[in-house]
Amino acid sequence: MSVPDYMQCAEDHQTVLVVVQPVGIVPEDQFFRIYKRIASVAQVSIRDSQRNLYIRYRHHYLPENNEWGDFQTHRKVVGLISVTTCGSAKEWPQTLDRFHSQKEVFGATLYDSRLLVFGLQGEIAEQQRTDVAFYSSYDDCPNVEKRVEDFVESIFIVLESKRLDRATDKSGDKIPLLCVPFEKKDFVGLDTDSRHYKKRCQGRMRKHVGDLCLQAGMLQDALVHYHMAVELLRSVNDFLWLGAALEGLCSASVIFHYPGGTAGKAVGRKPSLAQGQGQAADAGKRHRPGALTANGISADTSSEIGRAKNCLGPEDIIEKYKEAISYYGKYKNAGVIELEACVKAVRVLAIQKRAMEASEFLQNAVYINLGQLSEEEKIQRYSILSELYHLIGFHRKSAFFKRVAAMQCVAPTIPEPGWRACYKLLLETLPGYSLSLDPKDFSKGTHRGWAAVQMRLLHELVYASRRMGNPGLSVRHLSFLLQTMLDFLSDQEKKEVTQSLENYTSKCPGGMEVLTLPDGLKLPPVAFTKLPIIRSVKLLDLPVSLRPHKQKGLLENNMSTKSPFIYSPIIMHTRGEERNKKIEFQWVQGEVCEVQLMVYNPMPFELRVEHMGLLTSGVEFEALPAALSLPAESGLYPVTLVGVPRTAGNITVNGYHTSVFGVTSDCLLEGLPSVLTSGCMVEVIPSLPRLQLSTSLPRSAHPLQPSKEELSSSVSVQLFNGETQHLTITLENIGSEDLETLEVASKTCNTKEKLFGEFLSWDLDEAVSQLPLKPGQSVTLTVNIKVRLDFSGGENLLQDLNDDGISVTGLPISSPLRQVLKSRAESKPLGSESSKTDYNHVKTLEAVMTFKYSGGAGKVEGYYRDLSLGVHVDIEPSVFFTRVSTLPATRTRQCHLLLDVFNSTEHELTVSANNNQDLVLHASECQRMAIQVDKFDFDTLPQPDQEAVRYTNPKLLEEERLHAQASMINSTLGITWNIPSVRRQGEASVEGVLNQLVLEHLQLAPLQWDVVVNGKPCDCDIIADCRVGDAVPLEVKLTNRSKNAVGPFALTVVPFQDYQNGVQNYDLQDAVTFIGSNTFYIDTVKPTENSVCMGALLFLYTGDFYLNIKFQDDSAGQGKELPPSWFGLPSVHIKALEAPIEAGA
Amino acid sequence: MAVCIAVIAKENYPLYIRSVPVQNELKFHYTVHTTLDVVEEKISAVGKAMADQRELYLGLLYPTEDYKVYPSHMIKNMAVTNSKVKFVIVVDSSNTSLRDNEIRSMFRKLHNSFTDVMCNPFYNPGDTIQSKAFDSMVSAMMVQAS
Repeated sequence: MSVPDYMQCAEDHQTVLVVVQPVGIVPEDQFFRIYKRIASVAQVSIRDSQRNLYIRYRHHYLPENNEWGDFQTHRKVVGLISVTTCGSAKEWPQTLDRFHSQKEVFGATLYDSRLLVFGLQGEIAEQQRTDVAFYSSYDDCPNVEKRVEDFVESIFIVLESKRLDRATDKSGDKIPLLCVPFEKKDFVGLDTDSRHYKKRCQGRMRKHVGDLCLQAGMLQDALVHYHMAVELLRSVNDFLWLGAALEGLCSASVIFHYPGGTAGKAVGRKPSLAQGQGQAADAGKRHRPGALTANGISADTSSEIGRAKNCLGPEDIIEKYKEAISYYGKYKNAGVIELEACVKAVRVLAIQKRAMEASEFLQNAVYINLGQLSEEEKIQRYSILSELYHLIGFHRKSAFFKRVAAMQCVAPTIPEPGWRACYKLLLETLPGYSLSLDPKDFSKGTHRGWAAVQMRLLHELVYASRRMGNPGLSVRHLSFLLQTMLDFLSDQEKKEVTQSLENYTSKCPGGMEVLTLPDGLKLPPVAFTKLPIIRSVKLLDLPVSLRPHKQKGLLENNMSTKSPFIYSPIIMHTRGEERNKKIEFQWVQGEVCEVQLMVYNPMPFELRVEHMGLLTSGVEFEALPAALSLPAESGLYPVTLVGVPRTAGNITVNGYHTSVFGVTSDCLLEGLPSVLTSGCMVEVIPSLPRLQLSTSLPRSAHPLQPSKEELSSSVSVQLFNGETQHLTITLENIGSEDLETLEVASKTCNTKEKLFGEFLSWDLDEAVSQLPLKPGQSVTLTVNIKVRLDFSGGENLLQDLNDDGISVTGLPISSPLRQVLKSRAESKPLGSESSKTDYNHVKTLEAVMTFKYSGGAGKVEGYYRDLSLGVHVDIEPSVFFTRVSTLPATRTRQCHLLLDVFNSTEHELTVSANNNQDLVLHASECQRMAIQVDKFDFDTLPQPDQEAVRYTNPKLLEEERLHAQASMINSTLGITWNIPSVRRQGEASVEGVLNQLVLEHLQLAPLQWDVVVNGKPCDCDIIADCRVGDAVPLEVKLTNRSKNAVGPFALTVVPFQDYQNGVQNYDLQDAVTFIGSNTFYIDTVKPTENSVCMGALLFLYTGDFYLNIKFQDDSAGQGKELPPSWFGLPSVHIKALEAPIEAGA
Repeated sequence: MAVCIAVIAKENYPLYIRSVPVQNELKFHYTVHTTLDVVEEKISAVGKAMADQRELYLGLLYPTEDYKVYPSHMIKNMAVTNSKVKFVIVVDSSNTSLRDNEIRSMFRKLHNSFTDVMCNPFYNPGDTIQSKAFDSMVSAMMVQAS
């Protein structure tokens, strides 16, 4: 006996062994179908006897093992069921012969046998035979179970008779000596009459009867017989049989204590319970007092002992097993028995949950040497050891032996290695090494389990799957190894693993699909989240020019405040929320969007990542994969992944896709807790048009000074002060949507400089009229850049003015304006330069033009885009006025404006003004220029409306007023300059240099005096003609335009003659007479009213006369002095002519 | 005297393992790994009763073909944590002269040295032990034998 039955358990001792075998040619599947049906009859309760018979079926049994049948009767084949196919009557005799020859194999021990014939019909089938049953086909055999039951009953009858036979013949003459095969030769020539021998015979027989009783369902009898056998055999030192008797005792006790069985669910004993009678019997057994508690040890042993005092207690069972095994151990040939006993004991201990002791039994079993084992037997042995270790909860040991078994499958000595079996066994070891093939289990927290051992196992899995011819599997396992064990791999190993991975993937690329093994195990995909390692994910906003903006107004509807507080210092956020947080900016449909990842390569060599793209959900997204190559052990490395959203909606970036070493993986961010992200969801708004801007001026490289705003582009230009430059802006629609609206706005950046007039001006109407703009079309816009700055404010300039005797600028030293100018000069950044070259400081003006445009679906949603153009202008001073003063002109309504013009350029320059001749100025030359101007009536300027006046500060209002006046003066003067050498021209502004005094001079007085002589208005230059002897009516009209009532005044008209040599003759009493008074009185004149005084003169001689109207203020009582300029009365020049000689006189 | 010394974390992964025949290290990995079954069984069998005792020595686990495996189980600072760090010493079974007492003293040394490692403020509990002092102590224990 060399092949142990590892599946044996203690309760097998009470079974009878029946072999079921095919005879002739029986299809395997059909045979096993019948076998299964036969095997379902595993327990038969015998009529009239309250006893159960248990049957163990085998379809394969070594006759060699049968020879041990006397030693332990459950090893004895007592029944034979043959299954055969018989097509015709002709074959029948032959089939029968075969059946008989098969019977002979087990002939010595068989109690009964049956032949099941399938397929035979006709005469032979009709005959009634007890040992043969005929069925027409494998599918039509309804009473197989019944036949088997009958068969079992017949076996029972034989068994029962044998038992009775053996049990009662103790008084018989001679008891035969039962012996095991290897003993036979030992007893040759032994004295059969000795007492010792007889006792041995008795003991062995007693043990044999015990076995039979146990099989026949008489547990109590069996126990008694076993006890007696133990006594007998102990006294004669028959160790082998003593062991057997002890084991029998244990088995009987185990059967008593654990009616549920010790084999676990593996052996299908339970199905028989469904077979009617069996169920009742079993139920009866269950109700036995103190049968089974949770730990398998009966709760109340004292009651137990009362009923079955011969039964061993749970502790004793193990003791006896130990003893039995130690006896078996004495015999080399009983190795199988010993091994099986160990296995049985372990099963009992497993039920008792005594793992430590069980492990000792198993440890012992490992060392039992069964001589030369075939490879298959070795595998079987290791597997069963593994299974038993598993049973007692030693998962690691179990895994260890399973792995040994797996290795045995592919041992080099085996000609055809069973890689498939090896792989299957290896898979089974995974839980023992706390490995699961799902990478998710490794993604969180620290690594679990024994890395060195796990790695080894994974390597073996890879190798086995490769040898199995399933490269897909090996790729999956290798990926798993790389992903989960990366921290434990040495640099050398990393290289090796990746190299072999690349080798495998060249044949079978790895993917993200779940691999399903034939036995149903699913291998989840492995995503290389560590190759490369991602540290952070950041969604990037679109470039400034492409960023969409929400129309104001509409935005507020979207505002939702969760908190009742406007501001709270406590930022409530959790990690998970952060990830789902919506990002504030928007992406635009059809526009390339970017996501920045910070990655690093943990490998000691260059890592090539291909097809790296984004995984998104929410909207249709076209990811544009990138390939990158990361240097060995790189630091953090920014990688930008791009894609184009094709529809509008909320897009969520779920992860990224990579292809490394030929393995594609989809890495989801939710599985990567270490990745920092500031939100992964962003709104994609419908598509908007896209404009490209080009200008006629060169682009400027240097950014605008206050670079808070990001500009899409900027231009720069150098201009002389007062010059105007045309800037042509071409806007091309390079998007795919129609441009529907366009708005332009500008903002001047540095407001420190005082700027006169509008810096940028344009006319949008023409451009707007071309809308909507189809894709590809373009529109142009002309912008006038006009620079008029005040360059006069230099400190040194004022110095100059003060040195000069004729200081007419009238700036008192301590005037506030002057102080302002001073401080400005100090704060000038170009201060050092200004000290170098007088008056030659370049000033800079910057402005941003913003083009708001919208169209398409995005416009419907209320979005627009901004395009901004920075305009940078360097302004060089051209001409400026160092001094301004006025001289009264001959007319009261006019005056002369004297301007000292300074040419600060390096070119020759001509200055011209309205109705004035050109003035040529050389570089850095200063000349005076006189312009005759009409006085200005500033009252005609539009008054700021009351509403605005009320809310703005008066200082500002004043400034505004001054500005308006100055620009009026400026436009009237129209001073322009021209540099012929460089063909530049521009305007010169006096705005900055005008001061209060000058302005007063230039202003029309609020009291307007009109002198009318002879019905003709008269001013300084006009000579009124009159005739001698005629009365000349003189009318003086006062119009009050001031805000207050004026007067009363007294006016005296004094005539005089100017001899043009400095002598003025006032003594004209006899040349001129007044008709009426020469003094006029003007009563109080209310605002906007006028008063007229009439008088008349009579010239007695011809000549040139002048009238000096002297003014005398009578309103002294009111205590206020009106400014003298208000009384600019013209002097009247009258030419008295000879009265024409009338023809008649 | 010892052929392999291992320190195993509460979560049953090695904090430290060293063996004398370096060429067959994996074998010791397997040996020590499988002993954990027995250690766990012993701990669960002894249960709470052991917490009171200062005796942390579990005794001989079992002899394998070549080596005797002695484990020691340490319950450190029961009041605060249950950091169940385990020590395993594998001893050459041919060396029969070794007494239980000597093994005990080895564990004591090992334990003291481990405590020193834990006291290092730069050591993160759960990391593999890379202390030179610990290493040299282990080497000393191994050399002593051969």
